[in-house]
Amino acid sequence: MTDGAILLQQVINGLSLGAMYALLAIGFTMVYGILELINFAHFNVFMIGSFLGLWALEALGLSGQSRVLTGLELFGALAFAFAVAMLGSGLLGVAIERIALRPLRGIPGTTGMITTIGVSYILFNIILLGAGAESKNYPNPMPRLQWNISGAVVDLREVLIWAITLALMVGLQLFVSRTRLGKAMRATAQDSEAARMMGVDVDRVIVAAFFLGSALAGAAALIFGLYYNYTSFLIGYSAGLRAFTAAVLGGIGSVPGAMVGGVIIGLIETLGGQLIAVRWTDVIIFSILVLVLVFAPTGLFGRAAPTKS
Amino acid sequence: MMTTRRALVVHLPAAALAGSVLSRMTFAADKSVTIGINVPLTGSDAEAATQIKDGAMMAVDEVNGMVAGYKINIMVLDDGTTTAGQYDPAQAATNARKMVADPSVVAAIGPEMSGSGKAMAPILSQGNLATITPSSTNPDITDPKFAAQFRPMGKAIYFRTVTTDAYQGPNMANYLVQTLKVKKVYILDDGGAYGVGMADAFEAQAKKNGIEVLGHDQLDPREANYTTILTKIKGLSPDGLYYGGTSLAGIKLVKQSRDILPNINKAGGDGVYSAALLKGAGHPAMDGWYGTIAAPYIAGNPEVAPWIKTFNEKYGIGPSGYSFTAYDAMLVVFDAIKRLAAEGKPVNRDNMRDAIHTANVKTLQGTVSFDENGDIKDRTVSVFHYEYNEKYPVDDLIHQYKYLGVAPSTS
Repeated sequence: MTDGAILLQQVINGLSLGAMYALLAIGFTMVYGILELINFAHFNVFMIGSFLGLWALEALGLSGQSRVLTGLELFGALAFAFAVAMLGSGLLGVAIERIALRPLRGIPGTTGMITTIGVSYILFNIILLGAGAESKNYPNPMPRLQWNISGAVVDLREVLIWAITLALMVGLQLFVSRTRLGKAMRATAQDSEAARMMGVDVDRVIVAAFFLGSALAGAAALIFGLYYNYTSFLIGYSAGLRAFTAAVLGGIGSVPGAMVGGVIIGLIETLGGQLIAVRWTDVIIFSILVLVLVFAPTGLFGRAAPTKS
Repeated sequence: MMTTRRALVVHLPAAALAGSVLSRMTFAADKSVTIGINVPLTGSDAEAATQIKDGAMMAVDEVNGMVAGYKINIMVLDDGTTTAGQYDPAQAATNARKMVADPSVVAAIGPEMSGSGKAMAPILSQGNLATITPSSTNPDITDPKFAAQFRPMGKAIYFRTVTTDAYQGPNMANYLVQTLKVKKVYILDDGGAYGVGMADAFEAQAKKNGIEVLGHDQLDPREANYTTILTKIKGLSPDGLYYGGTSLAGIKLVKQSRDILPNINKAGGDGVYSAALLKGAGHPAMDGWYGTIAAPYIAGNPEVAPWIKTFNEKYGIGPSGYSFTAYDAMLVVFDAIKRLAAEGKPVNRDNMRDAIHTANVKTLQGTVSFDENGDIKDRTVSVFHYEYNEKYPVDDLIHQYKYLGVAPSTS
């Protein structure tokens, strides 16, 4: 392979990674935008989402890489798995909000954030004890279809990842900009007190934010499983931390920022690994986190946090 | 003799002193010893660790827990933690202290992993407690160069029923060049003591053999995405890939390398010859991989067939290469107890260490004896090739891996 083809291949890899990070980053950013709370449980909602997808595929009789589906069957299997992973993760997010965070609402300081760390550990240990520690062999029902673009290889899986991510992003953007609930969300993010006075049901908005963010994490998790044919109870942290960095880079609180941030982090990971060294990519990514926090805390698309009255 | 519990408590010391009815009970209580088994039963190494523990327990069950009049108590310790997701050297050190603190522990089996071994060895040396590892192959732990670090008290306490990566890595480098005709290789490790040692030893010998080493990089076992490094490797067009490490990184490497580097020779050590890897990666991702173990190929010996059958029936899974060496390690411990008992010496830690060091025991793999550092004298490394056989369970090591022969040793 030529150097150009390798670079192109890394861009393709980076876009796939970036799509996953972006979907995951949206969950951080939506909750932060509305509650000004960093939800560390999101890491392991993502991890559980991948297990929900795994169980859904296994319930359809798919295991290992032995069976390949095509056409309508493939579409049906994937639609079912996405529905289970997204709905399950979304409901889990809502449950976390209802059980662990709502009772603490209004308490100032870091109480809520620390609670989410606790919840994260609970989820982590539930899967560790319930599903076991070994790495799981994720089914891949997709046929091996590959296209050659000037030396680089694009897999059907990658095309599907991009298409699904794009569709979810466009859907989310339409939801936030066009629907009543979306409008209420934006209003709450700007100033929850004023929104409440204007008759916005803030509780409903918060539930919606948790549901949507967690459901997208579920989608990201299923994509993760299909892409790597692997999941384990450990996957939440490294993906979650990068997605969090993506959210900060894009401007925490900003949905388009999370999307762009995710893709940038994905590209930095692969191109940095190619051009510098793979063992330095973590250093590069987390240096970006620190630099953004120090010099441009609003990120690429963020706005300064509204002053609380 | 009818007696209430309270009465028994009151009368017990007197009765024992009198040496009458209860003499047998006190006899049994005096003559019992504890053997520690330290393996990572939590995390991604759990399956391999269980196979090792079961191998050792086969030996205990065969003698019904009695050796030369001593009742054998087994203390199982887990050095895997959820925070590490696999073996955890910090937990291994805690376990080593626990064994040293308990005077009834006279010898130990384990650890499985070299990273744990490095943490345990200095503590075991302080307590003069001998351990026999059935699988940890990092050469530093027994190397006299590092004696100040790993055996500060001087005497060998870390014995092995497998050989070390000083042979496992280099012998595979010889195999790659002599049999597979590999010319350009890329090396990966998982950053653990075992993986790094193995990959470094391989690299040194590969260079001596005239193989061009295109690079040597490290995989983070808690990371999921290896496509970046594998794409980078693809750009260098190697015809061989060598991996030093355990299954946590190994599973992801095997899967992702199948898509990115489908047609090159891929090889690893005993970390690749693992049931967890077969289960997590399996067919077709594993197709074409080569693995080794730092011991002779025991499962091929027809005399061992009944042993394998019993193991299968008892534990519902086939033995791993290191189930055999764990059994062998327990036989060495039992032999030491027998010899001490025959000579009338007390079965304590100091005597056990000396007796183990002078072992000459017939085991499944042949005669086990140790050199002055505690390493096994037999230095056979066996090579295997993954060839999927649908008639057997996916994680059945003996049937999914085909034995190819002994890796050629250097000189």
